[in-house]
Amino acid sequence: MKIYTNDERKCNIAQAVLKNVIDPEVGLNIVDLGLVYEINFIEDEKVVACLMTLTTEFCPMGESIVEDTTQTLQAAFADYKIEVELTFDPAWSFELVSEEGRLFLGR
Amino acid sequence: MFPNVSNTGSIKTTSYKVVLPFYLYAALSFLVATIMLFISNDAFLSHYFHPHILAITHAMALGWGTMVILGAGHQLVPVLIEGKLYSEKLAYSAFILAAVGIPLLVYGFYTFNMNAPAKWGGRLIVFAVISFLVNIAMSIKHSKGENVHSVFIFTSTIWLLITTLFGLVLVYNFTYDLMPNDSLHYLPLHAHAGMIGWFLLLVIGVGSRLIPLFLISKYTNPKLLWIILLLINGALLLYFTIFYFFQHDGATFIPTSLVLIAVALFIYYCYMAYAKRLRRQVDEQVKISLLSVFMLLLPVILLFTIITLLMNTADEQVNLILTYGFVIFFGWITAIILGMTFKTLPFIAWNKAYRNRSAMSKTPSPKDLFDNNIFKLMGIAYLFGFTSLTIGILFSLQFLLQIGSILLIITAIFYNWNVIKVINHKAIIK
Repeated sequence: MKIYTNDERKCNIAQAVLKNVIDPEVGLNIVDLGLVYEINFIEDEKVVACLMTLTTEFCPMGESIVEDTTQTLQAAFADYKIEVELTFDPAWSFELVSEEGRLFLGR
Repeated sequence: MFPNVSNTGSIKTTSYKVVLPFYLYAALSFLVATIMLFISNDAFLSHYFHPHILAITHAMALGWGTMVILGAGHQLVPVLIEGKLYSEKLAYSAFILAAVGIPLLVYGFYTFNMNAPAKWGGRLIVFAVISFLVNIAMSIKHSKGENVHSVFIFTSTIWLLITTLFGLVLVYNFTYDLMPNDSLHYLPLHAHAGMIGWFLLLVIGVGSRLIPLFLISKYTNPKLLWIILLLINGALLLYFTIFYFFQHDGATFIPTSLVLIAVALFIYYCYMAYAKRLRRQVDEQVKISLLSVFMLLLPVILLFTIITLLMNTADEQVNLILTYGFVIFFGWITAIILGMTFKTLPFIAWNKAYRNRSAMSKTPSPKDLFDNNIFKLMGIAYLFGFTSLTIGILFSLQFLLQIGSILLIITAIFYNWNVIKVINHKAIIK
């Protein structure tokens, strides 16, 4: 899935580090799982705004995944303030999973 | 790109400190119950109202089944009702009251001392249930909105309160003539309010949320779940009415049929969630939990057989009734707990150990927190132990009762081993 961004170069770095954030239940990283919708860089405020979702709104690991995402982005963009926002509109669906992710899930 | 985004926020999980004591207590109760089963297995050659059978049943129903469900219930409240647990203090009080009350009640039954130990045990258990009920009701009141899963959990807790209050009345009935008949007469009401009203409703309410979650399935069908809820509550109310006003064994076919339809619909729900799953591979813990859903059919079929035989013969069908109770507590309820513990507990321990670490460091996954080989051995010991005991009770074969109870002690030891391993897990960061 293509992640919407206003800065392709920095978004590539963010994507690369976010591949280390694993959904513990699925065992797959959040990028290939298609959980990350947008990563925008607001330069004048020094903010990284990440918009993401979870496989289900009631995911018991949701809090942990969001914290994990925040800390990972903070480590990669130390000068920025990280703002991770959750959305369930649109809801996550299997169509958002990458080719690598589909192979991992055996589909 | 996504013009209608809305921030819904993340659900707040319940602290592990509240939940872990319930799991640990339940694990130890299971071990104690299997040891009691081994020591007293000759009781299964007698009547189901034998003091030792009453003690084992209550150790299983309250110490094992109810305590682990209360623990998981507190943990899963945010997932089930889409809101935060109202009070952790109420959760602690539910634990302490039940933890003291259960051994007192079990001791009272085991020694058939229906005075202070059984009465205090019963009272404390009722207060524990009230604590849980208030906590659930207030959590639902402060949550986003009512859903079918929250109605399941609330209704089942009401039935648990009815069961424990009625149980306490039955304990008093041994020493005071509170009821027109003896306590044995009312045992079916107390037992079915607990088994169907509490366990079945709660397991369906929780399972219908967790099974699609663990299978990563998009299947939902609230309408079907509402029908199941109505069928089970309708069946129980009908059963109580028949018991009090008609006293006709044949009439109990109607509520039993309603429960059978509800179980069949739940099996259909689980099948649809399984068929529409995104994850191809299903892990062992979910397989055992799915197996337990099919194991539900066993007691329902036995119940139909018991009713038919009671209508056509003068025999009390003691062996069949004993087997019926056994397959519910040691079969269906135990199977679902053995499976679901290792789906829920590792997540709690994982969150406790790793929630504040960065993803840049490698961490084990929740399923790595327990020993999978021990888990498999536990499953094998359980399957053979359960089968051996079921045949032993049905045909009064003591050697099978002895073999089966030893295998269940082994099952409980393996279960405790893994539970303690998960709870004691310390963060390993590479």
